[in-house]
Amino acid sequence: MFSMLVAGFGSVFTDPLSIIMVFLGTVVGIIFGALPGLTTVAGLSMFLPVTYAMASGTGLSMLTAIYIGGISGGLISAILLNIPGTPSSIATCFEGSPMAKKGEAGKALGLGVFASLIGTVFGISLMIVLSPTLAALTIKFGPWEYFSVTIFALTLISALCGKSVTKGVLSALFGMMFATVGLSPIDSAKRFTFGYLQLTSGFNLLAVLVGLYAISEVLSTAGSDKPPAKVLAYKMKGLGFSIKDISGQWFNMLRSSLIGLGIGILPGIGGSTSNLIAYSVAKNSSKYPEKFGTGIPDGIIASESSNNASIGGAMIPLLTLGIPGDGATAILLGGFMLHGMQPGPLLFQTNGATVYHIFASMILATFFMAIVMYAGMRFFVKILKVPSNILLPLIVVLCSIGAFALNNRVFDMWSLLLFGLIGLAMAKAGIPGPPFILGFILEGAFETNLRRGLEYSNGNFLEVFTRPISAIFLTLTILSLVLTLMRQYQSNKRLASSKN
Amino acid sequence: MNKELKKELGVGIFFAALSFAYLLGTTFVSTFSPFGNRGLDSKSVPMLIGGLALVLSASLIISTCIKYRQTKATTNLKKEQVCDSDEVVCIAPPDGVEITDKTKKLPVKMVLSVVFLVLYFALYQRIGFILSSIFYLIAEIFLLTEKQKRKKWALFIILFSIGVTVLIYVVFTRYLTLFLPRGILG
Repeated sequence: MFSMLVAGFGSVFTDPLSIIMVFLGTVVGIIFGALPGLTTVAGLSMFLPVTYAMASGTGLSMLTAIYIGGISGGLISAILLNIPGTPSSIATCFEGSPMAKKGEAGKALGLGVFASLIGTVFGISLMIVLSPTLAALTIKFGPWEYFSVTIFALTLISALCGKSVTKGVLSALFGMMFATVGLSPIDSAKRFTFGYLQLTSGFNLLAVLVGLYAISEVLSTAGSDKPPAKVLAYKMKGLGFSIKDISGQWFNMLRSSLIGLGIGILPGIGGSTSNLIAYSVAKNSSKYPEKFGTGIPDGIIASESSNNASIGGAMIPLLTLGIPGDGATAILLGGFMLHGMQPGPLLFQTNGATVYHIFASMILATFFMAIVMYAGMRFFVKILKVPSNILLPLIVVLCSIGAFALNNRVFDMWSLLLFGLIGLAMAKAGIPGPPFILGFILEGAFETNLRRGLEYSNGNFLEVFTRPISAIFLTLTILSLVLTLMRQYQSNKRLASSKN
Repeated sequence: MNKELKKELGVGIFFAALSFAYLLGTTFVSTFSPFGNRGLDSKSVPMLIGGLALVLSASLIISTCIKYRQTKATTNLKKEQVCDSDEVVCIAPPDGVEITDKTKKLPVKMVLSVVFLVLYFALYQRIGFILSSIFYLIAEIFLLTEKQKRKKWALFIILFSIGVTVLIYVVFTRYLTLFLPRGILG
């Protein structure tokens, strides 16, 4: 593993284009993260077509750099505008903005960037250590094991997202319905094509993802009447903070990074969830919880180290099982497939050199992120004033190029619009989006492995319970469902008693 | 019935209708079993998905009706919480903290943006990337710009739309080797 990583660094540092793209990706990511209304996913969607002509390692390195920059950039607007640039920085607002109002914006920004650096390094390091080990384990998986993993991932995300398990599962089934359009796996029977030739190949994964994430986001932002927020003044000397400011924060940083990593590994959710959990844990275990909300470093460090550690966490299921850890890694999954790579247990064997090239670039991007944010803060603060009315239509044009270039057909652009509208309607109806995405992505694996498993066992479904790994995952599935239903029942009961 | 319950009921009815139509659609799926049917065929999994969706949407409708009966006479006293985008976790923000991300939705702009997108995609191949993108960018940027600033920014918007479209076209077709439709300019 170490020699592969060294080789990865070698391939990155001997390729100037790769370094330039990683740098560019990091800057683009920070800009997208910093601008309220634009997210990392929109940045990834916009720059995906730019990578089409690049070598797979270079293109995917650029995309991962956007991911790292995007998650980190959110802290700028969270602190200076009191608006989270990305959902991953909601908790940063709680302490960052009060600090900025007290005249400590520079310190808040400095601490945020430092915590982001530590969190990202922590997450990526564990990703590099854990991913090959897990991939070696998952390579032994047969159809029943894969089937139970997909069931576990789908029920877990359905149970976790939103306020109702039923709506979560319905969302996953809705996504699965769209995935069944086209030719069936194994026997290639036409399904739900309605005699329309374009539907034979089904909906393209990238068109679905970009539509759901980027187009719905653009349409939603287009419809919002947001008065321009006032950028708070900041002064930043050096790193913005002293050694004394972080001396008592190492445990907080480690704990929050672990929370971020753990949440990131769970399929479908990432930094947007982990920052709130880490903030809550930091507050609840603090000796001075009453000070939270008044502008103390603890909250910024908890939020920023956890959301950045989620990057490495979210990459682990993507690389080892082909299951995205969050929205950004869902787009990355599409990027991998576009570059002819199938994330999963075989990835390290078939494309090991490229994977380690990406790992090395991610480390490089992390340090670029910190350097660029410390050195270029003045520039990024100015960027906050760029009007979204110019950027939003530009995102649409670039996303459309990406969709069209998939197969040189306008059908994929219509898919973009269709799924953009579906995403918008789902958000309005309170139906969680991540289960839909995972349902769409995992339906193929679910169906193929279920059918294969039954073929191998002569139609005996009970075999899924007799295999240890699949039995463990099915038990975890039942456990997660029961626990969620219990949690839901208790919260309903609490709500009812508070009303009475 | 309050807004939240109406929404739940709407979701339930939508999914019930959708899963019913989907199940109906599975009857038209052809099956192929040359070696005998030891497992599932091409319509089995869609039937499973449709069936499960139908049962769950029915349960959502029923539970919403039960909730309506139970909460008929009570008022909603919910403390405002901050949730992540996926609503996995919601926490009460510290006292006195308020995030200025509360936006007022203007559906007119959203609807017009969708209309512009439909026109853009419809014209993309017919008149080509350059012309359709210029028209789309001008229309959409004008739509999103504040009314009182439109006149002042008009020239910039037009020049920006033309310049950026040509730049994108040149970069993508010359340097990134992608094909973009030329349409009537070709």
